Amino acid sequence: MKLLPSFDVHQTLYNKAMASVSELIEFYLNENRKKIAKKSELLRKRYGQERDPWGLNIDTLQTALTYIYPLYDKYFRVKLHGLENLPKKKNFIVIANHSGQIPIDGALIITSLIMEKKNPILLRGMGERFMFQLPFLAKIVSEAGTILGDRKNCRYLLERGHSILVFPEGVKGITKSTEDFYKLQKFTNGFYRLALEQDIPIVPITVIGAEEFYPYVHQSPKMAELLNVPSFPITPFFPWFGLLGALPMPSPVDIHIGKTIKPNKKLNKDSPTSEIKKEVQKIKEVIQEKIDKELPKKRKMFE
Amino acid sequence: MNKAEKHLLIIGAKGGLAYKTIQKFLKKYPKLKITGVDTRLLDKPMKHPRYTFKRLEYRRGDFEDLFRENNFDYVLYLSRVTHSKISNKLLKKRLNLSLQGTQTILDLSLRTRVQKIVILSSFHVYGAMNDNPIFLDERYPLRGSLKFPELRDVVEMDQRCEAWMHENRNVIDTLILRPTNIIGPSLRNGITNYLTHPLSFYPMDYNPTVQFIHEDDMASVLVESIKVEPGLYNVTAPGYVSIKNAVKTINPDAYSLPVFALSKINTLANKKFGVPGYLLDYLKFPCLLSEDKFQKGFAKVKIKYSVKEAIENLGKNLRKKKQKD
Repeated sequence: MKLLPSFDVHQTLYNKAMASVSELIEFYLNENRKKIAKKSELLRKRYGQERDPWGLNIDTLQTALTYIYPLYDKYFRVKLHGLENLPKKKNFIVIANHSGQIPIDGALIITSLIMEKKNPILLRGMGERFMFQLPFLAKIVSEAGTILGDRKNCRYLLERGHSILVFPEGVKGITKSTEDFYKLQKFTNGFYRLALEQDIPIVPITVIGAEEFYPYVHQSPKMAELLNVPSFPITPFFPWFGLLGALPMPSPVDIHIGKTIKPNKKLNKDSPTSEIKKEVQKIKEVIQEKIDKELPKKRKMFE
Repeated sequence: MNKAEKHLLIIGAKGGLAYKTIQKFLKKYPKLKITGVDTRLLDKPMKHPRYTFKRLEYRRGDFEDLFRENNFDYVLYLSRVTHSKISNKLLKKRLNLSLQGTQTILDLSLRTRVQKIVILSSFHVYGAMNDNPIFLDERYPLRGSLKFPELRDVVEMDQRCEAWMHENRNVIDTLILRPTNIIGPSLRNGITNYLTHPLSFYPMDYNPTVQFIHEDDMASVLVESIKVEPGLYNVTAPGYVSIKNAVKTINPDAYSLPVFALSKINTLANKKFGVPGYLLDYLKFPCLLSEDKFQKGFAKVKIKYSVKEAIENLGKNLRKKKQKD
């Protein structure tokens, strides 16, 4: 009597499973392809067919969206709230809380304004310097619309009518240990001076759910220094299971767009830092209040 | 320029760019007398009653004789010794010329009451860096030699000329031009060699945006420069392309390779390839120039070729040349 199925049976089961998985992936990719193509066409109309000086290539962005959107839609189950709060006519600066160890929150915010908005907007996200040094990554992120986080770049982009995405907490925001989740870190002031300089409205965005991509994290500054990287998170799975351990958990994400804040007309771009700090603090409080309000309603990871 | 006869000295008169510039000068100013000097001999000397060419070793004594025997009104200093095919001997010569030679030329121009000196620097002084913002204006720090010590003289020469320009602004008009990649069928500089090489490669892992200016347009800029307000100017044609598109426009069958492999090939075949090592950084990172000041200062120059057209023109000429061969 045979206790175990033969090797052939295993092989058939394996093949069937793999075929189902690939069919499932193909189904989702195909389902979204038309929608993404339509959005990309609208983006081309808005930003031009040609590559821009920062390297944006809508074709590359379209390809990137083909892979990001299924994750956005099915894995992180993103919900966008408050779309009506976005300025209708003018370009703007988005200020958001940063979380999740790797900048997926940025990609999700950018995807949301392309895929959920009738007339899509490409928010230009900022990348850290080291990203633009690495082969392949430098090429992909530039062509997908990310720019080097530099005030000159932002100024030129705003002058050309683009909207930008700023995480004023910087690396400190994204690389928090578990005990600091949802506590906003110190905000930089540069974005507010830019807003004053060009009279650009500020849109506060609050992201809930991204901190749980890695629910238990301990930051190791010593390892980061040793490896010359901005941060080195240690989780129950990373670095123990290698890159597989770096996969984020399927935490549902809610993106809340707040009401537009106009820069204080009594100030100008050269106003004293103490005055600018007060205004920046007000924006920080708006986002922290929204976090505190929405956090108890956070959706569960598995429901 | 006054109707009276004026005398222009062109230092570095052998190159393809100088040849075009001299032709344009002679055509535009019917009374202008031109003297061209170079360390190299001309293959086919240009014959024109108002043009004289002298082969000159770039030594202090030779320059002193040249300036004293002639009464130059303008000096066009194009003589950046080519970066291609660098041997140790040539590198030493370049360092001497760029630093000591430049100082000699500046001093002599001042002593012999030259009205205006135009210095051709390069956008390589800024350096291609991963943290370069897009569009570098003329005030941006010069970081070209941070990674590549062989560019130290280029950066120092530019800085020295700028300081000199400010020191002597009431006595002599000085113009420093920092052009982007100059390309054209008659040039043999590093970037033209890279773009037109039969073994054509573009980077697989990077694709920065690049600018070019066609040699014809650069010659027009140099001709106009003797009339333009003194100062520092970036020079570029309108528009930009990705490095991949630039290579593919010239050679649609070009291969893609990671930059580290390109770098190895370049090191192994440097003499044949003719591409200096530091240029490979310009295939990785952006170094885009802001055109604002140039457009205002050189408003009268009609740029014939946009960046894309300059590339297309280079490709067209290369194909013609191949057909002839």
